[in-house]
Amino acid sequence: MTMLSSAPGGASVRGPVTPPPSASVTKRRTQGGVILAVPALAWYLVFMVGPLVAIFVIAALHWPGMLQPVSFAGTGNISAVLDDPVFWDAVQNTAVQLVVAVPLMIVGAYMLGYYVAQKPPGHRVLRYLLFIPGLISTPAKAMVFYAVLSPDGLLNGALDKVGLGSMTDAWLASPSTALGSLILLDVWSGIGFTAVLFAARLGSVPDEIGEAAQLDGAGHWRAMWRIHFPVIRDFVGVVTMLQFLWTLFGSAQNVLLLTQGGPGSSSTTLSFLVYQKAFIAADLGYSQTVGVVLFLVGLAGLLTIRRVFRQNY
Amino acid sequence: MKFGRSWLPAHIFAWLYMVLLVVPLYYLLVSAFKTNDQIFGSPFSLPTSFSTANFTESFSSAHLGPAILNSMLVTALALVLTLALAIPAAFAIARAEGRLGALVERVFSLGFLIPTFAALFPTFLLAAATGLFHTRAFMVLFLPATAMPLSVVILVQFMRTIPREMEEAARMDGASTFAVLRHVYTPMCMPGIATILLLNFLTFWNEYLYSLVIIGPDPDLRTVQVALPTLKSLTGTDYGILTAGTVLTLVPVWVVYTVLQKRMQQALVSGAVKM
Repeated sequence: MTMLSSAPGGASVRGPVTPPPSASVTKRRTQGGVILAVPALAWYLVFMVGPLVAIFVIAALHWPGMLQPVSFAGTGNISAVLDDPVFWDAVQNTAVQLVVAVPLMIVGAYMLGYYVAQKPPGHRVLRYLLFIPGLISTPAKAMVFYAVLSPDGLLNGALDKVGLGSMTDAWLASPSTALGSLILLDVWSGIGFTAVLFAARLGSVPDEIGEAAQLDGAGHWRAMWRIHFPVIRDFVGVVTMLQFLWTLFGSAQNVLLLTQGGPGSSSTTLSFLVYQKAFIAADLGYSQTVGVVLFLVGLAGLLTIRRVFRQNY
Repeated sequence: MKFGRSWLPAHIFAWLYMVLLVVPLYYLLVSAFKTNDQIFGSPFSLPTSFSTANFTESFSSAHLGPAILNSMLVTALALVLTLALAIPAAFAIARAEGRLGALVERVFSLGFLIPTFAALFPTFLLAAATGLFHTRAFMVLFLPATAMPLSVVILVQFMRTIPREMEEAARMDGASTFAVLRHVYTPMCMPGIATILLLNFLTFWNEYLYSLVIIGPDPDLRTVQVALPTLKSLTGTDYGILTAGTVLTLVPVWVVYTVLQKRMQQALVSGAVKM
């Protein structure tokens, strides 16, 4: 700055009454700074924050279809939602999905990531393959699973081959297995991608930590959970939050593509219910009331996960 | 003896998952060259001929040609807009010293916690209100907004590492703020720009639900992710055609991944780590 103020900078050339150049440069710098962030901020507020706020407004409206008259419903939608057995089915399905899929994904991915980070034989191949589910779009993954789980698909074919033909099922069309199949898809694609994240993070843990553990005679199991895990605990928490959100909100797509929530409501999740009530059943107030519920569940989940993974040493 | 006998269960579990990961993909690939009879009769065998009949059939029946072009168009334009918005914003935040800059940064970093899906219906209303419902233009405008938090936060990290002296030297030569951004900051954070391009390429190319609702099913406008699932109902249960179409939509992403594997992994990892 001292250099600048003594030099005849561009700023002093412009002003008719030459102010101290350093002050002028600083002022222009902060002004320019604020203005440059405005477009991105405006974009973000219009397309992301605005619609999010609108959810809460629409949730208080009675709106039976796009072209129908709108009236204020107050808490009417809330009681309609709470009285609907389908909503409670969706709550239960979402709870099962979260409780099964998220821990399975995180624990499996952590162990797999730890394994890859130790650079066992073939770890390059592992890394390459583990990443693939992260690249494939949701519709493509759903089509793969549709082909695998269909009545004459890969899974039933394989069961027949090994003599377990009696176990074959129409996996996506049977009330007892539809939700399970969706969870399987989540876990199948979630573990690989998450494991790569953990492996990358574990790769930056100093080697000395592992070596010290070995000298102390700690087994691999102990080294993995008692020594490395506490070091990256924060990071595991962040990844758990992300997976929780993806599972909670993202399930609408898989349900839509594979089971449409059925049979009955056996695979309807909360996020699919939001979609279904908005775009299929045209009960917009109901849909966005469930949207508010989803939002609150997401918030509560985030706070809980943050608390569980808080660094405690 | 780092990987002694006690590692055996770990080896087994890791490679077992690998098998579970690869088998459906292998099945996808070989089925694309088979007829239904062959798929049901011998799901695991290699195809007897590498006929491209399924590919051409899926290509024409789901109108994948225009769909791929639409996806490319939307993805490319949305990427350009993302950079045009995120680079100046990151520049402003990285250089700001006051409380305002910190506040703006906080707004963007909290944006990570807003899942895109949450506001699907209000976004649909916004599209209808602006007269851009059933257009690709709305997606080009909308997708960058979803990418803003991650892109800005990653770029700010890169721009903070650029020493102040670089800017001061440019200022001495009479450079304007815009010139500093263009000739000093942008070239110096190319790795950051590459990272957000790769990350957003993946999310934009793979985006499904918003494209479905907002662009809609018109074969001339829809993206490839919307076109693909229509094969399921169009072809009834011809798995050969369905899998061939799926393979076609995966090719661009898979090519980019194989060429840029290291860089892409870094990009995705940093996307999650920077949260």
